[in-house]
Amino acid sequence: MIDYAIDLCIIGLSVGMVYALVALGISLIFSGLDIVHFAHGEIYMIGAFIGLMLFQKLALPYVPTLLLAVILTGFVGVFIERVFYRRLTRAGGGYTVAGMGMVIVGFGMSIVLQNVAFLIWGPKPFPFPVPFGRPIELGNLALPMSYVWIVVTALTLMAALHLVLRKTMIGLAIRAVAHNKDIAYLSGVNVPLMISTIFGIACALGAAAGVLIAPINYVQVQMGVGILIKAFAAAVVGGFGSLPGAVLGGLLVGVVESLGAGFISGTYKDIYAFVLLIVVLMVKPSGILGVAAKVKA
Amino acid sequence: MAAMLEISDLVGGYGSVQILNGASLKVETGQIAALLGGNGTGKSTLLKATSGLIKPWAGTITFDGERIDGLRPDTIVRRGLVQVTQGKEAFPAMTVEENLKLGAYVVRSRARMAAALERVYGYFPVLKDKRRQLSGTLSGGQLQMVCIGRGLMSSPKMIMLDEPSAALAPQVVMEIFRTIHRISRDGMTVLMVEQNVRMALLLAAYGYVIKDGVIHLEGPADKMIHDDNVRLSYLGGTVANREARL
Ligand SMILES: Nc1ncnc2c1ncn2[C@@H]1O[C@H](COP(=O)(O)OP(=O)(O)OP(=O)(O)O)[C@@H](O)[C@H]1O
Ligand SMILES: [Mg+2]
Repeated sequence: MIDYAIDLCIIGLSVGMVYALVALGISLIFSGLDIVHFAHGEIYMIGAFIGLMLFQKLALPYVPTLLLAVILTGFVGVFIERVFYRRLTRAGGGYTVAGMGMVIVGFGMSIVLQNVAFLIWGPKPFPFPVPFGRPIELGNLALPMSYVWIVVTALTLMAALHLVLRKTMIGLAIRAVAHNKDIAYLSGVNVPLMISTIFGIACALGAAAGVLIAPINYVQVQMGVGILIKAFAAAVVGGFGSLPGAVLGGLLVGVVESLGAGFISGTYKDIYAFVLLIVVLMVKPSGILGVAAKVKA
Repeated sequence: MAAMLEISDLVGGYGSVQILNGASLKVETGQIAALLGGNGTGKSTLLKATSGLIKPWAGTITFDGERIDGLRPDTIVRRGLVQVTQGKEAFPAMTVEENLKLGAYVVRSRARMAAALERVYGYFPVLKDKRRQLSGTLSGGQLQMVCIGRGLMSSPKMIMLDEPSAALAPQVVMEIFRTIHRISRDGMTVLMVEQNVRMALLLAAYGYVIKDGVIHLEGPADKMIHDDNVRLSYLGGTVANREARL
């Protein structure tokens, strides 16, 4: 019984890491661009497909696949931001009328990316078999290596993001742009470039999530739909726009979902995230680590 | 003396609302110039158009011999012209030192950044003691020092200060003005928007009065300060405002 619960928690934590990576991207885009990015699930899906191509067509090993997919998807993100979002975000995001436009464009982009992916890869789910080797034995538990990979990679990426934001000039500039674009500009920061950078990093994190989950799930055109909802739940549970909140929310959603599926019923697996969401919002409407007044980055 | 900044017939505004209606002014190298005027006359708008935050619609801005109108704000900072905005806008979630370092974003060399930091701490010693503190926890005066300090961090040729003394206690106002004087003595060209008309004209060499988006009056500051006409017709309201605030 206890072993089973621990097992479920470990699975929940590793899947939660994936939610956390996507939620981090959504929160990063929200704090940097003042927009809620509804096409982020498709970025995750595209990342997974790019990974699949690299892994199967170019026969790269898993680690270079992961790295390359992350970088390439980052640039896909920069391209999307430059070409499609730039005009709208320049008019102002957030709660402005232009911000509403941005929401609609996000939905549109989500549909467009799904259809593009459909034209390229079709509707079939693809397996992404990675020979990770034997599970790690921990007492009575056998931990599949794919979960270990998820946890290690996600933690590495989060630590790297934290260091960049706290210790480098680029990180300082990103935080500045997130808080006040005019003052960032007057401090000499190339704000448009920094916005692209933020968007690119957010998409890179989404791609990492996609490539990490792929060996456990399948890679499929629709895979972004479910994750978007989970990641949003995670971001809101943690406190929307807060980066530590996105991580915490992701882990919580993952664990609650896994425990719920294991102990209650797996049929309605998707509702546990929302039960958690509703409970958290009833107790603390701004989310666990959210602050009432918006203090970002 | 050559003009460091020359603005000619500047027209601009927000959206379709025209605020600047052909403003012209000139700041000589090494000089402090004061830009005065009542509330809503376009002083901040003029500075924003000069620093690139809003794009001028017409007219020219020449800085250090080169046209800068229409350039991006960060490019203008690189050219050596920095604006410190009204309202003590800093990054509350960053430490004092992070705020200052951000001001040196265009400075690539660590040594030059460290030297700039020491220079700013020289002007504002209190910031050195508070350097690890979040700027969101500072007093108004200290916050203004952070903002001016951030402006100085890229070692610009000229700094534009938008109401540096607004909403500060009298002793702090004096300290800020003394420091602006020191900064100017060390070779900086300064354009200062002020509601504190007397102090600004005492400090400045030349004054401009803006009204409805055009320069209505200009002259050497020592003449202006004795010109009752100026005070009554253009500045009376603002002097009263200031006294009400203090
Ligand atoms: N972002 C903006 N959008 C639209 N109108 C603006 C904006 N900022 C200022 N204005 C308008 O432009 C006019 C001039 O404003 P500006 O801030 O330049 O005045 P100011 O001389 O700096 O006044 P103050 O002494 O109050 O700072 C005002 O009528 C103001 O309402
Ligand atoms: Mg103003």
